Amino acid sequence: MIISSLTFLIIFAVIGAILYGQKLIKTEKSDAVFGNPERSKGGIHWVIVGSSFLLFLWLYYSWDIAKAFYPKSANEICQVAKVRESMLSLKYLFPIDERQHKSTAIIHRENENIQNYIKEISSNPNLNQVDKEVYINILEKIKLSIPYLTNEKYLEFETKITIDKLTERINNLTNVFPTDNFPPPLSLDFEKELNEGLSKQLGWGATGMEIPPLPETKLGLKYHIAADQLRLISDEFFQIRNHNPQYKTLTNDIKSDIKNHRDKLNDNQELEITLLKEINKLNKRIQFASIFPPTTLVEFEQAVRNFDAVQKKEQGSIATKDALLFPGGTIVSSGPTCAEDGPGRWLPKPSDTFRIFADMLKPSVGFKFVPMFWYEMMGVNKIVGFILPDWIADIIPGKYPIHSSDGQVKPNFKSKVLDIVTGNFEAFKIPVPVGHIWDSFLRVFLGLVFGIILGVPLGIFMGLNRFAKGFFDPLVELYRPVPPLAWAPLVITVFGIDNVGKIFLLFMVSLSIMIISARAGASGTQLSKIHAAHSLGASRWQILREVIFPNSLPEILTGIRVAVGMCWGTLVAAEFLAGTTGIGFVENVARKYMQYEVIWITIFVMGMLGLLFDITIRKIIDKTIPWRGKG
Amino acid sequence: MRKIISFILGSIFALNLMISTAFSAANEVRIAFFLEWATPNQEAKVKKTFDKAFGVPVKWTNFATGGEMTEAMLSGDIDISYSQGLTPFVNAVNAKAPIKLVDVAVLYGMGGTTCVVANSSGITKANASELEGKKVAVPLGTMADYVFRETMKAVGANADAMQVIDMNPEDGSAAIVNGDVAMACLFGGASIEKALEVGKRVLTVDEAKAAGIAGIDVVSVTNKFLKENPGMVSTFIEVTHEANAAHRAGKSNMSIIAKDAGMSLDATKGQMSGFEFPDANTIKSKYMNDGGILMKYLDVMGNMFATAENPALKDYSKVVTTDYLPGL
Repeated sequence: MIISSLTFLIIFAVIGAILYGQKLIKTEKSDAVFGNPERSKGGIHWVIVGSSFLLFLWLYYSWDIAKAFYPKSANEICQVAKVRESMLSLKYLFPIDERQHKSTAIIHRENENIQNYIKEISSNPNLNQVDKEVYINILEKIKLSIPYLTNEKYLEFETKITIDKLTERINNLTNVFPTDNFPPPLSLDFEKELNEGLSKQLGWGATGMEIPPLPETKLGLKYHIAADQLRLISDEFFQIRNHNPQYKTLTNDIKSDIKNHRDKLNDNQELEITLLKEINKLNKRIQFASIFPPTTLVEFEQAVRNFDAVQKKEQGSIATKDALLFPGGTIVSSGPTCAEDGPGRWLPKPSDTFRIFADMLKPSVGFKFVPMFWYEMMGVNKIVGFILPDWIADIIPGKYPIHSSDGQVKPNFKSKVLDIVTGNFEAFKIPVPVGHIWDSFLRVFLGLVFGIILGVPLGIFMGLNRFAKGFFDPLVELYRPVPPLAWAPLVITVFGIDNVGKIFLLFMVSLSIMIISARAGASGTQLSKIHAAHSLGASRWQILREVIFPNSLPEILTGIRVAVGMCWGTLVAAEFLAGTTGIGFVENVARKYMQYEVIWITIFVMGMLGLLFDITIRKIIDKTIPWRGKG
Repeated sequence: MRKIISFILGSIFALNLMISTAFSAANEVRIAFFLEWATPNQEAKVKKTFDKAFGVPVKWTNFATGGEMTEAMLSGDIDISYSQGLTPFVNAVNAKAPIKLVDVAVLYGMGGTTCVVANSSGITKANASELEGKKVAVPLGTMADYVFRETMKAVGANADAMQVIDMNPEDGSAAIVNGDVAMACLFGGASIEKALEVGKRVLTVDEAKAAGIAGIDVVSVTNKFLKENPGMVSTFIEVTHEANAAHRAGKSNMSIIAKDAGMSLDATKGQMSGFEFPDANTIKSKYMNDGGILMKYLDVMGNMFATAENPALKDYSKVVTTDYLPGL
């Protein structure tokens, strides 16, 4: 319901925005020539079109539109898929979806293989002449056995009858399939079972039910029953062996040749044994390949083709829905279940995605017992204990109390201080954020802040001082080009699995970018400005603070923007490494359990957070350096 | 405007075409396997026995985890996965992936997959409940994940109360050496060896066996390949079982296997001594039969790793078939 109204809304929004755009062009003054930046100003309506288009693509390719408008279509296509699956083996024999008859291809291939063996054997210096002749003789016999399979005159009457019977069964099915007489009345047991199953069956996309497999419509039932019959026919067909007496005699002959020769060999004649085994396999491959004379299967093939055509024709609206509303793939059947194949599998439906996202946002659900984004009441004592280092208590003169003879421990000043610095006291509680999203955010934020705190002064210093430039240049330039992820394998070993390692990785990323941009900013300051400050009597500190720093701010802030992007990219990989929390961890675990909805949720969350960071920095840029780009 | 619309329609059309042409005809067989996981059929792989038995060339691709094998099978790039862990297979069929289990590849005791607890933590199986609240490294969604949960059940500790950190075996062994985690569950010879330098197994190999914890790797095939080239699936299983039989008879060329697995000869021999490659009859009568060992495992694991979106199947026999095993 929501999705269908949303679809209409999108269509109206796009049409409306396009019409508005047309109107705008007409009313616009036309003196803005091509290349005038005026022409790229405004255009909120195109933003609407762009995002609607994106949403529409998502709805369409995840087959959510199909689900919203035709909730039963998946079930019907599933029944058709069952027929397709039951015919897969039969169709593969004939040039219906392929270029060649399967048996033609096999004969072609095996003749080639036999030729290759003969060539290989006759030129092999490790075989003696007698053996060579024996092998080549066997191979020639195998080659001669093929015509016994492909010549009409050797075909046994019984085999022909069996094939004819199967052909007729398919033809009967083809004739009766489009009529109302199909399916024939169901047996009571079957009907009871079906109805029972149907009453329990959930809809398409319900939790835990991808595609409801039992036929829900009359047309679907037709396909379901036909698939059952075809499966039987297919199984019976592949049990037919075109092993006429002449062929049998020859293969038995070949087999005994191989066996006789094998018995003569010692166990250490490995080359000969393998060759014989391979030749034996080649013979068996031909034996069980369903090879028939070229004309024997003509009617059978026609029957399969006819049925295929009829079942395609009978699909009617199902086929249209399949082609139009299930782009890029379809529903496939695999035994008793049906599954989405193509974008429907890896691109989850927006409705499911948002439902699961909303569910995950509930603090009681979360992901792996950790909420996505929530708060926790935490005592101020813990924060104090975390901030104050424990050694403060150790350096206070005196000793920690010792228990007295009556079993009491009397706290003294030193132990009281220890209680404070370790956070072991009662205090009021404040809410602190927790969860996967918060953890990821905090890691990026801290990595960035440390990078800025260290990188900016160092960069400016390097831009102004010969010693600093010379001393730090090799260091920075050597580590800067290394992709941050190259450090990743070391991080666990050196820093362990906690936040320290991940934050350090992000710090490495942001540090180099900050150094480079601050240095460029500092060395790019116009000399005239510095001279002016000098002549006005500014001190070194004043020049640094009032001239050089503001002048390098644009470079620094651009550097921060670049660093944010890089940090997000690195974070996910860092959280893949060893994770207990974080967006990257969620994505990695979801991948292992094939939860595509969760994967897309993490991608979406990361995009949103990245955007949030970027917008914040853009706002800061506008506030702090309004002169940028204006002279 | 017309140009924009035709561009958009054109690109949608092109995208549809691009996505739907995934499969190609079987003029080669594409098989997935693991490195550092020595199996007898690697000799057949090196000697091109498979290529000759199929009559078409074989393309072997190595993967890091069974989950990645599933992903490649779904995208149509792999036909047969050899030695996929049962856990990733279960996760795949729970997610309704169209793949089938056709053979048992390897049975292994806890020599190859195990949980190692750090000596410094002072925890043994007697006081294993002390692990609750501590950090443990587990590669989630793998056989080691299963072993972790089963081991904790066996020693009476609550796995849910531990702080599970998702780590690959290499990282997990580094973490336990560093003292970052109290316990690491791992697979692969090198990682376990490294972890054992600072810790010991929670359950010894024999204890794990007694508790009924064992690893099973399987052979899985895409449904489409199975329907279209059933003969090739049989051939693959046949050649593999021939190599297994040769190995049981002590006729495998270990140096070839070691080289292909990317391990030293000693490590290979050590690893393979903990592996069992059952013959077709045993598989049919003890593992893949109704109520067989494999079927019980599938049920237990299926429920263990079920999620709300991907619940356990009611009947796992629908994704298992013995039709392609060599006859009795």
